Amino acid sequence: MSSWVGQAIRRGRLTTRYPAEPATELELPMLARAPRPPAVVPDRLGAIAACPVAALSAAGGSGIRADEGRCIRCARCAAHGFDFSGSAECSRPDRAGLLVPPVPSGPGARAVPLRQLGRSVHVFLVDAGSCNACNHEVLALTNPYYDAQRLGIFFTNSPRHADVLLVVGVPTAEMTEPVRRAFEALPSPKAVVAVGVCPIGGGVFQSTPGLAGSLEELVPVDAFVPGCPPAPVSVLDAILGLLGRSRARTEG
Amino acid sequence: MTSRPWSESLRGPAGALGTEHAPAYLPIDRAFALVNDYGTGRALLWRGPAPAEANEVATLWRRAAEAPRPHRVAPEEVVEGYGVFTFPYGPISMGVPESGRFDVRTYGERILTLGPVAGFKSRRILGALPGLTPEDALLRVERLAGNFSAAHAAAFLAAVESAAAIEVARTELWTRALAQELERIYNHLHQIARVAEAASQNVGLAQTHALAEEMLRIEGRTFGHRWLFGALAPGAPTRRLDPEGRRWLGRALRELSGRFEVLLELFLGSRTFVDRLQTTGVVSRERAVRWGAVGPVLRATGVAWDDRLRAPSVPYTDLFLELPREDGGDALARILVRAHEVRSSALLLEQLLDRWPGDAMAREAPAPPVGPGRGLGRVESPSGDLVYEVRLTNGRIASVGMRSASHANWPVFAESLRHAVFTDFHFAWESFGLVFAETDA
Amino acid sequence: MDLAGVLLTVAIASFFAGAPLSLIRRDLGYLTTFGAALLFGAVAVDALLFGPVRGAAWGGPLGDVETLSLDALSAFFALATSVVWAATSVYSVWYDDRPSPVLAVTYALTLGAIALLVTASSEVLFLIGWETMTLASYGMILEARGRTDRVYSAAFVFLAFGEASTLLVLLAFAGLFVGTGSLAFGPTLSGTVLPSLVFVAGLLGFGLKMGTAPFHMSEWLPIAHSSAPSNASAVLSSTLTLAGAYGLFRLVSLLPGPPDWWGALTLAIGAISVLLGALFAAVSEHSKGLPAYSTIENNGLILVALGVSLLAGANHLTLLAVFALFAAFYQALAHALAKTVLFLSAGYVEHLTRTFDLSSVEGRATGPDRAALVGTLAASLSLAAGPPLAGFVSEWMVLEALFQSYRFGETWAQFVGLLTGAAVALGAGLITVAMVKFVGFAYLWKPRCARAPSERGSLGPVVGAVAFAVLTVGITAPWILVLLAPSVSVVMGSSVAAPIGGLLSVPNGWSILSGAPFGILSPPMVPIAIAAGVLVAVGYDRLGRHRAVRRVPVWMAGSAPAREGETYTSFGYSTGIRLMMSSALRTREVRANAGAITTVGFEAVEPYSVELEVFDVFKLFYDGLLVVGEGVSRVLKERVMPGQLGRYLAYVLVAVLVVVVYIASVST
Repeated sequence: MSSWVGQAIRRGRLTTRYPAEPATELELPMLARAPRPPAVVPDRLGAIAACPVAALSAAGGSGIRADEGRCIRCARCAAHGFDFSGSAECSRPDRAGLLVPPVPSGPGARAVPLRQLGRSVHVFLVDAGSCNACNHEVLALTNPYYDAQRLGIFFTNSPRHADVLLVVGVPTAEMTEPVRRAFEALPSPKAVVAVGVCPIGGGVFQSTPGLAGSLEELVPVDAFVPGCPPAPVSVLDAILGLLGRSRARTEG
Repeated sequence: MTSRPWSESLRGPAGALGTEHAPAYLPIDRAFALVNDYGTGRALLWRGPAPAEANEVATLWRRAAEAPRPHRVAPEEVVEGYGVFTFPYGPISMGVPESGRFDVRTYGERILTLGPVAGFKSRRILGALPGLTPEDALLRVERLAGNFSAAHAAAFLAAVESAAAIEVARTELWTRALAQELERIYNHLHQIARVAEAASQNVGLAQTHALAEEMLRIEGRTFGHRWLFGALAPGAPTRRLDPEGRRWLGRALRELSGRFEVLLELFLGSRTFVDRLQTTGVVSRERAVRWGAVGPVLRATGVAWDDRLRAPSVPYTDLFLELPREDGGDALARILVRAHEVRSSALLLEQLLDRWPGDAMAREAPAPPVGPGRGLGRVESPSGDLVYEVRLTNGRIASVGMRSASHANWPVFAESLRHAVFTDFHFAWESFGLVFAETDA
Repeated sequence: MDLAGVLLTVAIASFFAGAPLSLIRRDLGYLTTFGAALLFGAVAVDALLFGPVRGAAWGGPLGDVETLSLDALSAFFALATSVVWAATSVYSVWYDDRPSPVLAVTYALTLGAIALLVTASSEVLFLIGWETMTLASYGMILEARGRTDRVYSAAFVFLAFGEASTLLVLLAFAGLFVGTGSLAFGPTLSGTVLPSLVFVAGLLGFGLKMGTAPFHMSEWLPIAHSSAPSNASAVLSSTLTLAGAYGLFRLVSLLPGPPDWWGALTLAIGAISVLLGALFAAVSEHSKGLPAYSTIENNGLILVALGVSLLAGANHLTLLAVFALFAAFYQALAHALAKTVLFLSAGYVEHLTRTFDLSSVEGRATGPDRAALVGTLAASLSLAAGPPLAGFVSEWMVLEALFQSYRFGETWAQFVGLLTGAAVALGAGLITVAMVKFVGFAYLWKPRCARAPSERGSLGPVVGAVAFAVLTVGITAPWILVLLAPSVSVVMGSSVAAPIGGLLSVPNGWSILSGAPFGILSPPMVPIAIAAGVLVAVGYDRLGRHRAVRRVPVWMAGSAPAREGETYTSFGYSTGIRLMMSSALRTREVRANAGAITTVGFEAVEPYSVELEVFDVFKLFYDGLLVVGEGVSRVLKERVMPGQLGRYLAYVLVAVLVVVVYIASVST
């Protein structure tokens, strides 16, 4: 059958079992996972100094605290025994939750901001100044491997039809107003997801002059997805988390 | 490998290199190089030997980075008339997943002139690089345009190595070529998928999109990162390609290119698809050459220019490259060039894996520096010619200039849509493969 | 002469009296015509309900009796026109601020002339009214603001086409007189050839006044009607074309049972009018040209309905013939009311913004005048056949009649019906575009500059009142159809009480049936259903958790709110149609260099201006006609009338000889 239909049938089902089953090695390659420190870091100060984005800091005792919201997965800490063993379910509802080990914090953020939307959510993508990798990763959610539509996640062409704003990239001075306008245009109830370390804290660009600030300073953020860029499964999990359907939650 | 860190070797007496090394490829074995001086809103074209100050390419590029933002990236054409108005499209639209605006002059339905406006995502990356070590700068250069990260990293590293005149391990250069070709295949597949989406070829979109995802997975499995960040950093832990990994890679690529051949045949057999692309967004050869277009856009007008052939570096000097070329100049020709480049890149990868240099100790001399502590790096990115100019002082970055394929292709893109209907926009946009992130560096 | 007859005579006299009274004070003239219109309407209702009214009578030229009278047919048209005139008269008081009273005088004369021709009992009186109407309207058009070349040429074109129409009507009436030997409307013509000649002459002559093909397009009606002052535009477009329709129906009532090609011809002319009228309306940028083109579309629909009726009559499908006639009448009524609102509204917009150009109105009429907005919205919705308004019912009836063309005996007739149906449906779509454009760009556009203040108070009540009439006529359609039965009977030449009482056309209120085994519509139920839906929605909103309304700026793809020159123009809105229908519109782009060539880098940049022009194919016909006419004139001037006295004396001699010979031959 040399037709599109025949081709589609021949290729069969490609779609991932995620979130029913955990993410596979292919879906979550090494650098899509967060680094975890070894039990004992031999050269603690050396490791902290090696991190180019100051994601590592000293924790109580001889421990080390990693800030996943800064980590760009450059793997320089691998020389100090860190291994990349983070999970796909890396999104957190608050910025402090990205610290490993966590610090005691105040009242938590809204746990499930869009629970009332049930099984369907519409998503609008905003590029606040990204390198285009996160854009492609978010768009990859529509490909047959992830097929976000099967989970009730749909992309819209206007924020007026959307429930969720996915923001990628470092918010530049020029994009602050457009991002605010997009947020305003979203009808309530709504949620904002910061996709990647760039909107969370600037990532590797935290000191470049074009950065206007973190996304949190512009609009309230409901989910932080660390990664540079985060794997599509992580973005998927973050969106599902807004609806209370996160894999971590269903398992827990 | 030597125990000396890669960056250590940069701290040599870079300034000691004289100017007797003639600049290898700026003034220019190509007949032209275009620089858009966005700072003054003008487009400049150099022909033939560069004038003295033209050596200061980076000056112009730096000015581009400091241009008033947002700014037009194509010459402004004035059109008036009854009912004519400006329709601002962007900066945020899902049709173009990046942030950038297009000022469309129209009387409705038809684009009279198109003014692309870039600069919304100016992160001023290049301006923040001076003072950093090349390794730290590399982290930022890789993340300048994520889907072209291997090309940017390779061009940047080549410029650094040229500036510092340090020899590079042969395996390193082969790894760079490997990463670039993988990236090229991904980007071409992505672009074809997007064109299929614009043409509402939904099965074709899904199938091609799936292949693009498979490419990302192959990259992820090979380099540990789906976007090849860190893949080209010398000394990075993920980049060892063992024989087993090479075998897996070769197998996966063969399987993928076999599938792509089937898809291509189906695409070209679909009259609606081909008809929609034909005569859409036409660029004539004369205009392409005049504006200095590069990459698949140029090759789709019948000009067989490719840095891998015309300004080759190791290992392209040793490989056979089949260079696809089309004559139509329209969206179909650009998509065909991309499709055939998937094939030719697969062939290159086969050669790379087949003749993988076992001896990691063999070293290659870099391109000679163009001045004291100043080097150029040039690669063919998926969208075309990409040039980096790096100056080093005491092993640290003094300045970085960059001219990407997107810079070069904006004017012809704007021209190709003159008098087109609105719905032609996405076909032209996706077939050109322009990236705002490159322009807004 | 009973009381009603006296009142009718007084009403018509008052219309004419408005002219001298206007010389004293303009407002006085307009108020007189307003009063006359009310009186006229009241008498018309009386005539519809209780039978014909006879007013003043006097001796005619051939010894017969001239009467001002209203039978059921003329009463229908009298009623429709009087409603329009009441509105336009009040509007004129508000609108007319000209220093000279000419507009008021010609306005009153036009109204009087139309009233006269509607009440005329004979062809002579009708023609007097017809000609007075044409001349007085010519005067009104000349009063347009600015007296530009466009106005002069528009008035001239109007006069030229008006006289051509008179000529054809004269021809038709001559045929009637020859056949019946009477100048009175009454005896029915018999024979085969003569009635056909009379019909064709009448169809073309009255059709000319209605602006239908092949005598329409940019050539005359839209130019003439849109150039006139707004109150005159409303009178011309709503009631002058109605006068044409009246003439046509009157003529049909005097003709014998039709052969089938009459209907086919009428259908063809109607279909072309609908299609091209709608097409040109959709691409018109003139706030009064657009409604004028829509007039052509509506009159085309009247012809279509009449054509179906004639074809059905020829096929002995009495029920369908009656139903189609009802559709034609209803279409005429719905159009007259709604179009009045549109022209009054366009005049209001012009008053506020000083422009007729829809692209530069840009919503400056948007503002607190809710009544004007809602009225215009309702009227344009009606013209676009939106429920539950009058236009919806009439368009439904026309389409239902067309759908039943399968009942015709001949295959070709079925085919004509089919093609006409397609044209009407396409025209309905195009006219919707035009109406959205009119209301959208005049009223609903979000203004970016301050709303122009009105110097003369609001127009809302007048517009609102007529729009309310449009709504009422839509909702109460079944009862109004019952009221119209005598009028339809006049045209049919036999009572239509039987089909009405039976299952067809209109059962006793609440719904309209379009054929024994065919469609049904209940106009009163439509608003009830809509209201129920609104109630449910509002109730849900009130009863459910109340959410605060949050207003946010328009989403412009992240850009700042649009500035001047950054939003869609009305021209841009309809460019899609210009390009899609380019074969019919002959769309072409004209480029011209504008300004100096500058150099950007190495690239020369030429600023240029661009116009997207559409072209009316009928203009070719008139251009050809003009060439022929000029040639004939030249030949006449050079050969026949060279200015030599001797030649003229010879002509006189020949004429006298011919007369003498003729008289001699007759007397022997």
